[in-house]
Amino acid sequence: MLLDQMPDVQRDALKEVSNIGVGHAATALSKMIGRRIELFVPRVLVTPLADVPACLGGAETLMAGIFLRILGDARGSIMLLFPQASASRLCGILTGCEQELLENQVAVSSLKEVGNILASAYLNALGDLIGKKLLPSVPCFAYDMAGALVDTLLVEVGRKSDLALMVETEFGGEIDSDTSIRGHFFLIPDPETYEAFFSVATGD
Amino acid sequence: MRVGIAEYRTARGPAVLRASGLGSCLAIVLYDPRRALGGMAHTLLPGGRGQDEVSNPVKFADLAIELMLKDLVGMGAERQALVAKMAGGANMFASDFLSLVDGIGVRSAHSAREILSRLQIPLLGEDIGGNRGRTVEFDLATGHLLVHFARDKTRLCL
Repeated sequence: MLLDQMPDVQRDALKEVSNIGVGHAATALSKMIGRRIELFVPRVLVTPLADVPACLGGAETLMAGIFLRILGDARGSIMLLFPQASASRLCGILTGCEQELLENQVAVSSLKEVGNILASAYLNALGDLIGKKLLPSVPCFAYDMAGALVDTLLVEVGRKSDLALMVETEFGGEIDSDTSIRGHFFLIPDPETYEAFFSVATGD
Repeated sequence: MRVGIAEYRTARGPAVLRASGLGSCLAIVLYDPRRALGGMAHTLLPGGRGQDEVSNPVKFADLAIELMLKDLVGMGAERQALVAKMAGGANMFASDFLSLVDGIGVRSAHSAREILSRLQIPLLGEDIGGNRGRTVEFDLATGHLLVHFARDKTRLCL
């Protein structure tokens, strides 16, 4: 299937499954940190590889990234990106004190655990919807330029395609507040298993 | 001039070619110092030779170098005068789960070195690997390749 000719029904289906998946993930996060988390409308992005960093807010913006591979009946990647301030706040809530990112193993471990819980909740919901068993890999963490973090995602996609398909959902609590935690949740299916992710639209 | 993923650009000095936010990607520059003529490629994957259906060869380190070389010679660069430098190829998510993305950056660099040596283009400097992202700037007036590390705000010059 050609990505740039993706029918609207498939776009809408991807948005819907991602909305439900991230809904579950946000509930999990909300329980963990005892704050309300709001979801924004998901975006389905089909972009040339070169434009992906710009979609993430600029190649050189420092972000905390948690990366997991999707294992099982369909393959892909999940990336959670938190702006620096949000990542520090999140660590603060989870560990009880503001942590310097990267300098502290406890901070890194707590963020990886967040990634693990969110990805598991997301993949459970998504797997149920498309009738596939989806499992998250061990989470990996890095704090660096957004562009550098997403290279890792593009490697899998780039082998087969010049366009990247990403489903992005932004989430955040207490919008416009200095204490809000905002982040981006990305689902990037491997081109070989696009059909599996689209099956919810076609009813296969 | 910005060089995005899977793109290459050529220019005549004075000009600065820039690739930002390199993780496992590789920035390779070819340069004719006497004519201040050069190019930068921003590649994603190692060897593309032998792959079927290569829609955009610039994704691949080896094929990008060959294309850029042809372009530079066409612009008037002297084949024998060309030199190369490169930076990038980090493993951003190096951790307890090493086999996850099997050192793709290091493999890209290996592929680039191989083709450069086959083309007899001397590699004058490189900064490869590690787990930090890089932004690189190539100054065609001086031939310097500046490598910036955003995370710890350090830089080096190749």
